[in-house]
Amino acid sequence: MSLSSQTQNNYYTSRRQQNWSRNQNTTRFKSSVKLGPVAHTVLVALMITVLGLIYLTQATRATGYDYQSQKIDSQIADLNNQKSDLQIENARLTALSTVKDSSVAREMTTPASTDYVQQ
Amino acid sequence: MNLELLKGSRTRILATVILVIVAIFVVRLFYLQVIRHDYYVGVAKQTQESRFIIPASRGEIYAMNGDIPDQIVMNESVYTVFADPFTVDDKTKVVDSLKQIAGGNVRPNFDQLLDLKQTRYQILANKLTRTQADKLKALNLQGIGFQEVSQRVYPEGALAAQVLGFVDTNGAGQYGIEQYENDALNGKNGLLQAVTDVSKVPLTIGKDNTSVPAQNGKNIVLTIDRNVQSQVENILATDMQKLNVKNGSVLVMNPNNGKVLAMANNPSFDPANYGQVADVAGFNNNTISAPYEPGSDVKTYTLATGIDKGVVKASDTYNNTDHIKVDDITVSNATLGHTGNITFQTALLYSLNTGFVTVAERLGDGTNITKSARDVMYDYFHNRFGLGSLTGIELANEQAGTVISPDDPSGQGNAVRYSNMAFGQGLDATLIQVASGFSSIVNGGNYYKPTVINGYVGDDGTFQKVPDPAPLRTNIIQKSTSTQIKEATHDARAVSFGKTDKPGYYIGGKTGTSQVIVNGQYSNTETVGTYLGFGGGSEDSTQYVIMVQVSGKDQILGGAQQALPIFTDISNWMLGYLKIQPKG
Repeated sequence: MSLSSQTQNNYYTSRRQQNWSRNQNTTRFKSSVKLGPVAHTVLVALMITVLGLIYLTQATRATGYDYQSQKIDSQIADLNNQKSDLQIENARLTALSTVKDSSVAREMTTPASTDYVQQ
Repeated sequence: MNLELLKGSRTRILATVILVIVAIFVVRLFYLQVIRHDYYVGVAKQTQESRFIIPASRGEIYAMNGDIPDQIVMNESVYTVFADPFTVDDKTKVVDSLKQIAGGNVRPNFDQLLDLKQTRYQILANKLTRTQADKLKALNLQGIGFQEVSQRVYPEGALAAQVLGFVDTNGAGQYGIEQYENDALNGKNGLLQAVTDVSKVPLTIGKDNTSVPAQNGKNIVLTIDRNVQSQVENILATDMQKLNVKNGSVLVMNPNNGKVLAMANNPSFDPANYGQVADVAGFNNNTISAPYEPGSDVKTYTLATGIDKGVVKASDTYNNTDHIKVDDITVSNATLGHTGNITFQTALLYSLNTGFVTVAERLGDGTNITKSARDVMYDYFHNRFGLGSLTGIELANEQAGTVISPDDPSGQGNAVRYSNMAFGQGLDATLIQVASGFSSIVNGGNYYKPTVINGYVGDDGTFQKVPDPAPLRTNIIQKSTSTQIKEATHDARAVSFGKTDKPGYYIGGKTGTSQVIVNGQYSNTETVGTYLGFGGGSEDSTQYVIMVQVSGKDQILGGAQQALPIFTDISNWMLGYLKIQPKG
């Protein structure tokens, strides 16, 4: 049966016939297309399937983001570790004992005399 | 269609059986899904969800480098390599790789540990660096695992070890600032509870995911100046060797705000290898946790009390006979011969006990150390200068010491005790107490609580300096008293030791030599030498207070002979470091 080949008609039913409350602009359009129980079942199944697929897509996408996030977190942690290692190295290189033993420090001499600028 | 089954027919029996089975299923499902709902939800959560503790990073410790804070305690990740001997398939490769990469970090005979197949966990190497661990991980050795451990790193080595303390294997701070500020340094671990995949990667699916971020510990900036601390430690070690002294302690502080610039003790220890210390007494910071009888340094306190109460001046005289009787005992001078009418300035110069017992007597009726004299001395010594009570410095294991009140129910707060207290015996105090009280004497009369905390460094690396502390007690002595004591101690130093100071500066101080109580009696074979002094560009500008203590079992040590040279070396260096201009 081809739905498109059918002409769709609207049927007007008066309010009095429908027992609608008074003073309400209510109309009812009754489709001429009739769906049987099998078609209903198929449509419901399709809808559930589509919804399921949408859920799966979204959940998979979210999980995909989780892995990306995990990877970025891991990179951040690695970079922080590297930063921390460099800070420690920097602290060791600028430690007083290191500075004292440096070639620059070894060549420094005590001034013979010190004068002060009068304030 | 109306299906009717014949009574007793097999179909009807089958239908009944199926109905019963379905009913059983329904009941069972009801039981599982409704009645046991919470239990099975819990079981499912246990299976699907994981809890991750997000460890908080322990706060770092900074020392001042001039005006800039520099890290002196940091955190470093190191790795422990362990093996499951049962699953190690290529022992030779494991052994060769570890020897090549881990080097000295491997445990002795670690190769034999791999033969213990009945065990499932053997530690093969400790404290590997990240680089070493990464190299080993890249080899994908079967049965080998890695555990990351955070440990404290000390770029400056053993600098200020007793101030810092250390962190034990349980992650708890011990001694020093590490113990005192343990909670602040520790921070608070965070929590991530989430549904995970088989690789334990947290997923956002799941409605009960919980994420509580970790709160890292506070980064504490000490008032300790690493340059002063280092220089003080070097001078102390060098001079101790030169002067044959077994133990030494030095305290350098700013008398105008109570900030401690250096706190050194020798012998010391290396906090990175605290487990190798033979004697745990080495962990103690003797400047705060070893009360002793301060000796003649306290004569400055007695003179300040007498001047402040208006009963004496440094230029006043008394008749010195080298001995003075107090109740049933006789107090004698250590240095004899300066008899006759002499000034209290002379008594200070030669550290004559009789002069200061006389001051105590003049606080009473002139010839006796009366109850009112003792009350005055207790008020000044204990309540104003803080001797015998905790200063509240932010370091663990501070000891209070003892100053016995005249109202002590045991009756020990008598005239004899207070005559001894007048020259620094008969009371116990720590270096930090004596130096803090002396700071208030030389700064014009304001008592500052000594402190080692200068501020904090935020997560963004900015230094948040705490405001300079307000005095804890103001005007504890008059400004004129402060000036007179500075003059008296400056003159006393200038007469005997002034030539050792850099010319043009205003330096003052007082020696102290006190007997040590051994087995309940004052020992004749052991004394503690101290020197308590100050320095600055002029009499109006006192910029540092230094206190030196030297001691040793069975050593006779004197304030002038052993402690003073250490003071002088540090003081002369401080004048240059603080860029103090001479005005004298």
